[in-house]
Amino acid sequence: MNVPVSLRIAALAIATTAFYTYVGQLVPQKEVQPPVEVVISKDMKPEEMAKVGREIMDGKGLCFTCHTVGKSGALRFPDLDGIGGRAASRVPGLSDVEYLAQSLYEPDKYIVPGFNPGMPVISKPPIGLTDDEILAVIAYLQTLGGTTTVTMQTKINGSAGGAEAPAAAPAAAASEGTAAEPAADAAGSATPAQEPGQ
Amino acid sequence: MIKKGLAAALLALLGLAAIVGTSKFLMDREYKSPALTPPGQTAETPRDRGLADQRAEQEKADKEKPYQEAEYRPFPKVGSRVAVWVAAQLHLLFAAFVLAVPLFALIIEFIGYRTKDPRYDRLAHEFTKLLSVSFSLTATFGAMLTFGLIILYPKFTNYLVSVFSPTFLPYVGLFFFEAFFLYTYYYGWGKFSPRVHLLLGLGLNVVGTAIMLIANAWLTFMTSPSGISETGALISTWDAVRNFTWMPINIHRIIANVAFGGSVAAAYAAFKFLGAKTDEERAHYDWMGYIGNFVAICAFLPLPFAGYWLAKEIYAYSQTLGLTMMGGAFSWLFIIQAVLIGNLFLGANYYLWLGMGRIQGAQHFQKYIKYLLILVALCFMVWATPRSIISTVSEIRAMGGSSHPALGFLGVMSAKNTAVNILILTTYVSFLLYRRGGKTPTVKWAKTGNLAQLGIFLAAASIVLFLGVYGYFVEASVRIAFSIPQVLSVLFAMVSVTVIDVFLYKNAEQAGEPRWGQIAPISQYVLIFIAVTFTWLMGLMGYVRSGLRQHWHVYGVIRDTSVDAFTPTLGFATKVVSVTVLIFFLLISFVFWLASLGGKKDWEPRVKEGAKNNLPEPEDLGAAV
Ligand code: HEC
Ligand code: HEM
Repeated sequence: MNVPVSLRIAALAIATTAFYTYVGQLVPQKEVQPPVEVVISKDMKPEEMAKVGREIMDGKGLCFTCHTVGKSGALRFPDLDGIGGRAASRVPGLSDVEYLAQSLYEPDKYIVPGFNPGMPVISKPPIGLTDDEILAVIAYLQTLGGTTTVTMQTKINGSAGGAEAPAAAPAAAASEGTAAEPAADAAGSATPAQEPGQ
Repeated sequence: MIKKGLAAALLALLGLAAIVGTSKFLMDREYKSPALTPPGQTAETPRDRGLADQRAEQEKADKEKPYQEAEYRPFPKVGSRVAVWVAAQLHLLFAAFVLAVPLFALIIEFIGYRTKDPRYDRLAHEFTKLLSVSFSLTATFGAMLTFGLIILYPKFTNYLVSVFSPTFLPYVGLFFFEAFFLYTYYYGWGKFSPRVHLLLGLGLNVVGTAIMLIANAWLTFMTSPSGISETGALISTWDAVRNFTWMPINIHRIIANVAFGGSVAAAYAAFKFLGAKTDEERAHYDWMGYIGNFVAICAFLPLPFAGYWLAKEIYAYSQTLGLTMMGGAFSWLFIIQAVLIGNLFLGANYYLWLGMGRIQGAQHFQKYIKYLLILVALCFMVWATPRSIISTVSEIRAMGGSSHPALGFLGVMSAKNTAVNILILTTYVSFLLYRRGGKTPTVKWAKTGNLAQLGIFLAAASIVLFLGVYGYFVEASVRIAFSIPQVLSVLFAMVSVTVIDVFLYKNAEQAGEPRWGQIAPISQYVLIFIAVTFTWLMGLMGYVRSGLRQHWHVYGVIRDTSVDAFTPTLGFATKVVSVTVLIFFLLISFVFWLASLGGKKDWEPRVKEGAKNNLPEPEDLGAAV
């Protein structure tokens, strides 16, 4: 019973830290790797594009941090099931591909009724998908309730099929046809969110 | 003794000579062409020629070597991330301590000045004794961190410098003033008029806070950058400083620092209490521990609110970041946090309970505290319950079947908010009971006053519970808004009950002074447990703040492309935190030991045989440890 006080204190400190370390081992252990770049080639077929698109949405796109597919109820973010069918009728004057492109490049331009703004601009960091990656994502979104019509050659904005550097990718000009703004212009002026025209 | 040392040195010298001699002999045995070489001219063997060629080649290669900017440099064994992590965390822990102690030392000194009670002044002085060595250690780890960053993350550090260079000179200047105030405050104790001394303490606090504000700007910028272009070019340093999370983290940190500093100071008192020889010492350190713990708990109670505000600002900056924190990879970390915070509440209440032993006539309160402890444990369980369990019961229906982690978190936020609010109320009641121990109110309206207090408590608790339960039946966005009336009713209850209590117990009859020092020794171990837990919590939360950025150095702007870009498992993170905490306690016990040297007798030379009675008592030696 004659353990020196200093030893007892040390034992207490070690036991306490050990206990918390143990708690730390009890919770699920997951190592999160930085997103891997998916290989995209210019001559992918629509099915391949959709497959790659799904991979991107799982990984680098972070889409499923927010979105669900096939859930209903008190959701905070729109469920993406059936989006391929709905997309064409969302905004008058925009085709389904154009609408999907707009919701990724300029998400605040049209807010899905019943939801709050909050979707990040997908072409910019921290997510920062390239134009090609976004094409693949659109291909997958189309399969949810529709069929893929988009190809790797589809021009969805001014520099489609080209720009590699995500930071410089134009954020504007996905809507109203294809207003081809030079990338440099668009990068500097963060496109102000506008209300939908209609 | 001396002879032995000499012999060892001689032996070492001999060994060295032997090694040098042997190798020289072997090298001289190298083949040399026989006496053909004319005198005065050294022979050139093929080996010499080869060596010369090699040297020339190397020289040429050296000259032509292109300069390459290193992006990262490796750190042996543990890797760069862990090296910088540990240095940063130790720096933060010591800095938190050095910033917090002056804050409450000044307040205690001020109380002493107003009440003219010299005990407070002495206590404040004793707290500041811990400062000077800690200050040096803070600076040491700060330098280690800076060098670590420059060496291991040169490119990224360079980037931070490009954004924040205008803040460095002020930082260094402030550091100088910090040293000036700290040392004059400490060494000038009792040497100035009280007002001048208090002013020095104020200066120390102002400068310390300013230092923290600058350092926080750097690290909050990394989480929520602003004032830069999309590619990271600097637009305005000032905008970079006042980024989204800067103020919330400043506030959260100041409060957390005080809580942490108070608990570590209480641990010092506990350490002294346990080693105390006299009742007088025990009484003093019991009191000191009580005050330290009181400071810690007072700061601890508003922390969850500050924490939620911080979390809200992170969401406001970037939903993606907020969801990573609360719904994604880090959501389990907050379960660990809940375990820690639950332990803190349990420890604090248990300590108060044990403390009632000091007060005559408080025993009948002691049985209530038992129930309070049970309540604390229950709330703790609710808080630490992973969402999956709750979501099986009522959650799924309320959420319309969603099992998404993010939604799950927000769903059970109702339960957690309720639990934490009740925890806070309960701890407050413990304090109140403790305060009342042994006192009988003399005012006429005592009964009414008591009833009013009870009514307020019940009302606050009902509001919290009602909103907590009702929260399950409404939409997420409405439910989130419920946390505000919950918090407000708890705050209102604490303030109004305190005000009533102050008047109620004015001129109260006191059955006896608190018998400081008459407390079970286990209470002191509880104080140490609380200090270790606080420290661990600091370490864990420091990890959330940095880990949250995942594979970014500056979120969304500067990518981490090093080998450490991945986010480690929580199990690994907790191990690093534990090692850091143990190093911290090793060093802080050194600080404690140094601080307690002041009270020791001076060293005296040993006197030869026959004068044994002059030797220091063995106990004296033991107590130094
Ligand atoms: C931080 C949360 C978040 C992330 C991450 C996110 N979104 Fe969204 N998304 C939203 C919100 C909120 C809305 C609804 C508001 C709006 O319309 O802008 C939305 C709307 C959409 C819509 C329109 C839905 C409709 O019914 O019209 C599409 C399509 C979409 N997101 C696709 C994606 C894709 C693809 C990704 C990944 C590359 C993604 N989102 C990532 C939050 C997010
Ligand atoms: C319950 C809601 C809370 C949330 C959401 C929360 C969140 C956070 C976050 C994100 C940080 C990182 C900021 C930084 O390190 O600078 C942080 C820091 C911190 N939190 Fe909390 N917190 C909460 C409550 C608490 C509580 C109750 C404590 C109690 C002691 C606490 C103690 C700390 C400490 C000590 C730090 C600083 C760590 C450091 O020095 O780096 N937090 N908190």
